[in-house]
Amino acid sequence: MNDRLKALYKTQILVHAKSPFNEGVLEDFTHKLQAYNPVCGDQFDLYLKFEDDIIQNTSFKGYGCAISKASTSVLTKHLLGKTKSEAKALIELFLKVIDPENNESPESITSDEELLAFASAREFPERLTCANLAWEKLKEVL
Amino acid sequence: MPSRKSEFPIFETARKEGRPLIFLDNASTTQKPQCVIDAISGFYAGYYANVGRGLYWPATAASSSYDHAREKVRSFIGASSKKEVIFTSGTTDAVNKVVNSFLLPQLEEGDEVLVSEMEHHSNFVPWQQACELKGAQLKVIPLDAELNLDLSKLTSMLTDKVKVLAVTAISNTLGVKNDLKSIINLAHQHNIKVFVDAAQLPLSEKIDVQNMNCDFLAFSGHKVFGPTGIGVLYGKQALLQNISPLAYGGGMVQKVNIDKTIMADLPSKHEAGTPNIAGAIGLAAAINFINSVGVEEIGRHSAELRKYAVKRLSEIEGLTLFAKDAKSTAILSFTMKGIHPHDIAAFLAEKGIAVRAGHHCTHPLMHKLDIGGTVRVSFNIYNSTEEVDLLKNTLDEIKSFFL
Repeated sequence: MNDRLKALYKTQILVHAKSPFNEGVLEDFTHKLQAYNPVCGDQFDLYLKFEDDIIQNTSFKGYGCAISKASTSVLTKHLLGKTKSEAKALIELFLKVIDPENNESPESITSDEELLAFASAREFPERLTCANLAWEKLKEVL
Repeated sequence: MPSRKSEFPIFETARKEGRPLIFLDNASTTQKPQCVIDAISGFYAGYYANVGRGLYWPATAASSSYDHAREKVRSFIGASSKKEVIFTSGTTDAVNKVVNSFLLPQLEEGDEVLVSEMEHHSNFVPWQQACELKGAQLKVIPLDAELNLDLSKLTSMLTDKVKVLAVTAISNTLGVKNDLKSIINLAHQHNIKVFVDAAQLPLSEKIDVQNMNCDFLAFSGHKVFGPTGIGVLYGKQALLQNISPLAYGGGMVQKVNIDKTIMADLPSKHEAGTPNIAGAIGLAAAINFINSVGVEEIGRHSAELRKYAVKRLSEIEGLTLFAKDAKSTAILSFTMKGIHPHDIAAFLAEKGIAVRAGHHCTHPLMHKLDIGGTVRVSFNIYNSTEEVDLLKNTLDEIKSFFL
């Protein structure tokens, strides 16, 4: 099996794709949004519970490839405890990690292994929309 | 069948790039043999001019080639006259034009249009939108358990309210082939006109529009070794004569007065503007190529590969094949338990294996099957059993990586 692609699907991504964080419907959500990619049909519903401007709980439910599912899972996990502006900053940081146009090394942007796992997406421009699907949607809404 | 793969330069190019291209996405589009490429560049380099007007060489040569292309298509589909062959930009264009010129002017509130549950969006959305516009109803012919059109259900849907039945010859997702003759015969008993989406048909069996007795039929050049941007709409002469032009403009008129325009005769009436001359010439070269191999030969080769793929892929536990017993087609869809189709396609691509993953522009069918997508392989004359073996082995590797 090809190493380049294996690098994209490295352990962190497979772990999140197989056992996603908070998969399911959040009963007491305050915000619900839908991330949909019409090209491939991938679709995730994101549930957020804001309390005192802090994201207290998250979950997601939907259908997508390993990359999009894992990236949605990582997003919901990393949003916990963040304020709206912190969440925005997190999204910007992640989008930089996966941006093929960005000359900064991913490691200089963050040391978080779960976010760095997606850096290989830079080599696969056709999979960028998988990696950023939920992130871009949340960015749009925030 | 003698291998004709060497006539397709892309496979040579791919080797130079470092890995062979295993092209299993033929339902989407086909690779081009050198003779088609040569015909197009030969026209641009050797006798390029517009058609229909110029009295000079090379306009006369261009017009003659364009006309020969129409004759080539006529004979390819068994139409009785060149007047029944209209060049379009592709199947989608043909559907839209039939909807606009044939259906919309007669469609009224309470009327019905029938499509099937296995239609490509291009043979679904235009009819749906027309119905919405006129307050008519779009009804969907369901599939049975074997994923064939349920003809017993169809019978009860055929009423005097139905204006058109639009159906595909072969499902682009499942590879299921429909019994068009029976469907058309049933529809005609109720005076219902039938539009056939033949996008996947020309390399499966010899098309004979007169024997099939369809009212309209469309296919695309690029799916039959021809260039993109050219397609064919066949229509029965009386229908094409009676409907308003598919588009208005230059080249399709006899006389234009300020208060009235007299339209040209068939087929010019339906071809406004400068046509895709190079496309038609390329399509004619593609038909020559097909005839030199034989449609039946191509169809048989691809169907045998499908059969072989069914056998090999069945060995993989957790892999589900759809409509695996469908006969005589080139298309096969499958899913693998726990692995998303796009992940499978991405790993196959790393081995040079080009497949399509996703919904294949058939959302209604995906809903029926209750899945988000499939992996689809589709075969053609340049594919081999060795390639199917490599597909199978790579799927084994993918499975062990993911699970």
